[in-house]
Amino acid sequence: MTVGATVGILFTPTVWKALDDVSIWTQNWPWIPRLKYGENKAVATVSKMCESGCAVKVRTVAGEAFGTMGNTENPISGGGVCPLCANGVQVKNSPNRIKSPMLKGEAVTWDKAKEIVAEKLAAAGSKVAVISGDQTGTINEVFSALLASKGSDAFYAMPCDMQSACKAWNGLMGGSGQVGYDMKGADVVLLAGADALESWGPTVANMKAFADNEGGKFIFAGPFQTKTASVTSKWVPVPAEGMAAFTLGICYYVLQAGKSVPAADFDQFKAMVMSGYTPAKVEAATGVKADAMAEVAKQLLTAKSPVVVPGGSVGAHAAAFALNLLLGGGMKVLPEFAKAVGSAMSRAEMMKNDILQGVNADLLFVYEANPAYVLADQVKAGFTVAFDCVNTETTAAADLVLPIPHSYERVDDLASPYGLPQATYTMGAPVCKASLDVMNAGDFVLGLADLGFESFQEVIDAKVSAIGADADSLVEGNAFVLDETPDVSGVTLAASVLGKAASPVKGTGAVAVAPYTLLNVGTANQATTPNAPCTISNNQLVGDKLVVMMNGTTAKKLGVSVGSKVKLSGGSGECQALVQLFEGVMDGVVAAPLGMGHTTGDEFSKGKGDNVYKILTVSSEAATGASTWAGSTVNVAKI
Amino acid sequence: MEERKASKRCGGVFPFIIGFLATCILGWAVIPGLFFEKVEQPLRFSHAIHVDGQGMDCETCHYFREDGSYAGFPTNEVCAECHAVDPGEAMEAIAEAGIDPKDTAAIMAANLDVIEGALASSDDENKKAEREYVVKYLIQGKEVPWLNYQYQPDNVYFSHKAHEGLDIAELAAMKKDLSDVVDPAVFDEPGEHNCNLCHLKDIQKNDTPPAFQRNVLSGYSKMTMKMWKCERCHALKGQPNACYTCHK
Repeated sequence: MTVGATVGILFTPTVWKALDDVSIWTQNWPWIPRLKYGENKAVATVSKMCESGCAVKVRTVAGEAFGTMGNTENPISGGGVCPLCANGVQVKNSPNRIKSPMLKGEAVTWDKAKEIVAEKLAAAGSKVAVISGDQTGTINEVFSALLASKGSDAFYAMPCDMQSACKAWNGLMGGSGQVGYDMKGADVVLLAGADALESWGPTVANMKAFADNEGGKFIFAGPFQTKTASVTSKWVPVPAEGMAAFTLGICYYVLQAGKSVPAADFDQFKAMVMSGYTPAKVEAATGVKADAMAEVAKQLLTAKSPVVVPGGSVGAHAAAFALNLLLGGGMKVLPEFAKAVGSAMSRAEMMKNDILQGVNADLLFVYEANPAYVLADQVKAGFTVAFDCVNTETTAAADLVLPIPHSYERVDDLASPYGLPQATYTMGAPVCKASLDVMNAGDFVLGLADLGFESFQEVIDAKVSAIGADADSLVEGNAFVLDETPDVSGVTLAASVLGKAASPVKGTGAVAVAPYTLLNVGTANQATTPNAPCTISNNQLVGDKLVVMMNGTTAKKLGVSVGSKVKLSGGSGECQALVQLFEGVMDGVVAAPLGMGHTTGDEFSKGKGDNVYKILTVSSEAATGASTWAGSTVNVAKI
Repeated sequence: MEERKASKRCGGVFPFIIGFLATCILGWAVIPGLFFEKVEQPLRFSHAIHVDGQGMDCETCHYFREDGSYAGFPTNEVCAECHAVDPGEAMEAIAEAGIDPKDTAAIMAANLDVIEGALASSDDENKKAEREYVVKYLIQGKEVPWLNYQYQPDNVYFSHKAHEGLDIAELAAMKKDLSDVVDPAVFDEPGEHNCNLCHLKDIQKNDTPPAFQRNVLSGYSKMTMKMWKCERCHALKGQPNACYTCHK
């Protein structure tokens, strides 16, 4: 009977179906990720991970974000996206996100957090300060209005080129609005220290301008051949601390050619340049050959629409602006958008305070910035409240950590990222729901003081209304462009200051250090992102070791070679690194990448490389009253 | 010797036949049913009420998006076009009534005006189903976890758009070849749409959805079309059967 039963069962579908089902069952392991089905969309918003901010479209399925791409309709993007913002979704979903408010390492409720901050705010009086890592957001209006309500003007931006430009243009030269550069329309572009195709300004828009400007000639001046320099027509080796002098050296030839500008101090400026910045003197001070300056000046003078794009110190910016005014080319002056919050500071006012000179407050708010990583010695506070969406060195050191939504989960905006040739406003609405216990920093701050708004959404609505933009068009991802030019008739050339400020000041270490930023490595505020480490080259990181570059002559002088382990000492610290040889670095210069050596963060950034900010020296730029890292030097010891 | 004879009788043809027939009957009639468990849909959704009663087209809920992708089950956003209960107002009323917003049974029992006033159904049974949808899903912001009778795994890419033009009347010529693939009855009365080819026949007339039959081993639906069926039809229609046709 058993045999019959066995044979009989084989004549039924039972065994075969069971085998088939079991084979399918073996594919259904619970750890296999399941797809989410629903409508595919590309939702326009903004990403604040890079310094300038990107206009992006976030790809979603059933309302869940899964990818980031550029926004072809927006001039900031033109369809492109930077390496940091490209990984926006991965950062949004990272285990490194802050999951709830934390008071000295212990989770607390939002009500408790608000109670504590309100108490500290009341006790601090006017000794309240804000450090913002956001260069373009209306959130800065909310924070600065809070400061104003407390009688404080202690608003600090993290060190950036926009700040140097503001200090030069709005401070030294008496200009209004914001400087921008028409790199697309210019026929000669001198990038005087601006690593425009890698990390300076709106890099995506810069790259689009570079690509679209088929007939234009790009020249890069800087201490080493950056990625930008690798694709420009020419690289002029100029030390960072000598950039202002180099630019004034070019001014010499331009003035000699008869160029002038109706500025009140033009005669003084001309006299200062013609006597103090002759080619011979500039060559002696910077090492840049007079012939090289003459060649650059010639190209700028023969161009129809030349533009000089500065990077670095305030003096270097002022010198470049003066040169641009003389040339009358592609430098633009953008109007500032109307404020939403009446008592808020203007952008120039926000950029006025110099964080490198130190911050000391009873209560410090830090918004999406990482001063504990960049400026460990400069920032002191009795009680620090850090707003961020991911754990950083600053949140680790803060007394109270308040998690904010990721860019894709919140309403936010981008008002004229520094460098664009037109005043451009872009708005970002939430793409997906917040998955953690987060609160928009604007909503939290508006709950602390009566600033005339109930929510940050109301502030953004007011901003859109104040600038006269179409909210529906902004939601679709289009930019609002204000095509006006402020009056520049009162602008001076800052002759009295520039004469002194442009003199190169260098440290006493064995070699100069040329710090540089690559977006895939990270910025001052944003560590590298989950997908980016595989794109970091052996010129920046080998294993977990930082790599610095120098040329063969410098290496020989220091007694090191490729792969040598060295210790770089400077500023208030030291770094360990491996040596790489690259003949695109000036003699006596070590090129070191910023953005590594994090002590807090995820597996992709923590413990990778070393923190080059530790070995930079803050020095005061004569006459401008500003601080700069230019001129930093280090001693190099083989270990 | 006697024992050997007895043994020979017991091990003969008869017991073999008994065993053979018994397992054949079990294997054809009983065991296949044990492979499946019946699971009811999360809600009683009546196609008949929406199609016949409200005059809705299939495309009102089951439509192609602009990019050609198929919307499949309607989302709350679509349902809310008719079931117009404002979730915010409803939650406010629930809070005012002192009811836990997650306690759906209490909310339904409370007969709140903001919900009851928006129900479109007339008779109690339909009103109950509608109320359940509104309270359990719409105002909670949760999508209804409908059970898909034609569930396919993630590694199968099926494009409704690519199959939109299949004409049942034309396919009737292949009725014999397709007899194992689709229900031959679909060829008897070819309708305006070809949905019957794969989906529940005449679902638009259905008042209470049938139970979903889940395979206890694989987890798939009893109606899930197996790969050989896809391949059969593709072959008969002269369509490619390469792996990447369906497995992207």
